[in-house]
Amino acid sequence: MTLLQLAVHNLLRRRARTALTVCAVALGIAAIVALTGIAWGFEASWQKANDSRGTDLIVTRVASENSMPSPFLAEAGTRTLKGMPHVQDVVGLLSEMLSVSADAPPVFVFGWAWDSYLWKHLQLVRGRWPASDEEAGVVLGSIAADLLHKGPGDALEIEGRPFKVVGVFESPAVIENGALIVTLTQAQQVTDKPGKVNVLNIKLDGDASQKDAEAIKARVRATMPGYIAFTSGELVRQNAIVRIAKAMSDATILVASLVGTLVVFNTMLMSVNERTREVGILQAVGWHARTIIRLIVGEAVLLTLTGGVLGCLIGIAAATGLSHLDLMRGKIDAVFSPLFLAGVLALSALLGIAGGLLPAIKASRMLPARALRHE
Amino acid sequence: MSANATMDTGLAIAVADGPAAPALRTRDTPWIRAEGLQLQFDRGAIHALDGLDFHLCKTEFVAVVGPSGCGKSSLLNLVGMLEAPTAGRLFIDALPYADVADPAAFRRRHFGFVFQSFHLIPTLTALENVLLPTIGARDARRDSLERGWQLLANLGLDKRARHFPAQLSGGERQRVAIARALINEPDVIVADEPTGSLDSAAARQVLDSLEAIRARTRITILMVTHDSEVSARSDRIVHLRDGRVDPSRDDRP
Repeated sequence: MTLLQLAVHNLLRRRARTALTVCAVALGIAAIVALTGIAWGFEASWQKANDSRGTDLIVTRVASENSMPSPFLAEAGTRTLKGMPHVQDVVGLLSEMLSVSADAPPVFVFGWAWDSYLWKHLQLVRGRWPASDEEAGVVLGSIAADLLHKGPGDALEIEGRPFKVVGVFESPAVIENGALIVTLTQAQQVTDKPGKVNVLNIKLDGDASQKDAEAIKARVRATMPGYIAFTSGELVRQNAIVRIAKAMSDATILVASLVGTLVVFNTMLMSVNERTREVGILQAVGWHARTIIRLIVGEAVLLTLTGGVLGCLIGIAAATGLSHLDLMRGKIDAVFSPLFLAGVLALSALLGIAGGLLPAIKASRMLPARALRHE
Repeated sequence: MSANATMDTGLAIAVADGPAAPALRTRDTPWIRAEGLQLQFDRGAIHALDGLDFHLCKTEFVAVVGPSGCGKSSLLNLVGMLEAPTAGRLFIDALPYADVADPAAFRRRHFGFVFQSFHLIPTLTALENVLLPTIGARDARRDSLERGWQLLANLGLDKRARHFPAQLSGGERQRVAIARALINEPDVIVADEPTGSLDSAAARQVLDSLEAIRARTRITILMVTHDSEVSARSDRIVHLRDGRVDPSRDDRP
């Protein structure tokens, strides 16, 4: 029998307590996995949407950390930006979360300039694109079409205005697959924001370097008071929703780690107290203090690693389930990288060490004769 | 470990050295020597041992007797390094107690314990209990498993190896404890009333087993007992009273 086998054996002696502790750790780890996966997925979805459009820089109002950048008149800014070196194209974009039917959750509605480069990364699955800037036609992302049960030829109301579904598309970004896209003019009319956009997308020419992009960002700061230019990654990271989601995920990691450590500490302390005489036997037969520590910490790590593996599975299942709810479909796409999951398992092991170490040290420091006399 | 200790303590295994000469030589020099040994509890309120002088030579079978509370078990705990003396001098293999850097390793190498209440782990089988001292030990023998089986077989328990303590009789449990005590080939068996919880037939069987082991291996035995039949089998009896050796009592069985 090895030390590991003995540790497993000891855990199985108190099956109910072991199961409860594993469940407690698993729930904590599941919360970490689900929330972190969703937070990262949210960030990744937005960044993918921006990246796949081929946008190099995004200009917004300075208060861009709001969940949706506040709208502004596009014309003057567009003119200024187009005069900057290496700027190939400047395209306005208006986006809002809007209700399109009483029995469906709100969806993102994007307004894109009709003839802009923004449309190029989309793949038309059915129907056609809007024929002109003035056409009250809407194209649906594949998830949105599924959620709304609409297809080409169907009628749709956006904020009470009638639209006709003209096509269904597929995008590399889940956010866009869950969205409706109309032309920028139509979006401005629907939202009563004529001439306004949330962001200006800048596409740089092929000769532009990272240094040129930085120069444009500096020039925006200097020449366009109240506006700021970001790369798509910077914009997403500045986004209030992304930051709140990440803060919640960090808080969950902290709380779940503390609770997990305390649960394991409590379990192992009870276990050591119950096994005082047994520890005395181990000492009497010549077990070294470090062997006793290895056994008890090993038991704690086995508990938390089992909880960690279970928690990962539960967390992935929960986040995947959440992202398939009608309310969330097309808005989040939870991300679970192998590195992240390995980190979670490492955290689980650390919880075991943290929770098991003190009880293990207590056991190793017992006086053998007293431990043997323990009733 | 001494020459004697290197001998296999399995009953069926032949003794490597000649039986007589080393035994006489080792008996001349105390392997364990205690001078003015004191053990106090409750901040000096209880004197379990009170200036005890004692010695134990290699290959001896010494029985420690005396009334309840006279310090018999305390003596065993100190000699077996399960407890540290409050005062006095204790030498084991000529080494002062305080100079033993790693008491656990020292205990594992030199002592095998047998307790009145067996102290077996109830959820481990007899064989697993026997192998307990070897788990996690860097210096454990590679053939521990085979040796565990052999020890159980030698004690007539090979068919009970997969049984849990609750499925064994008292005598069988104590023989499992003896096998566990022998797994690391110790120099000394320290036994605290090993027959105290057994009926006379089982007690006799356990004593016969210990004697048989001693006859083949010349292992040293230090045993606390209340049983005059047990002490009668020893080489020497140490009578304790009030935490000291009672000088008025003869130390021969």
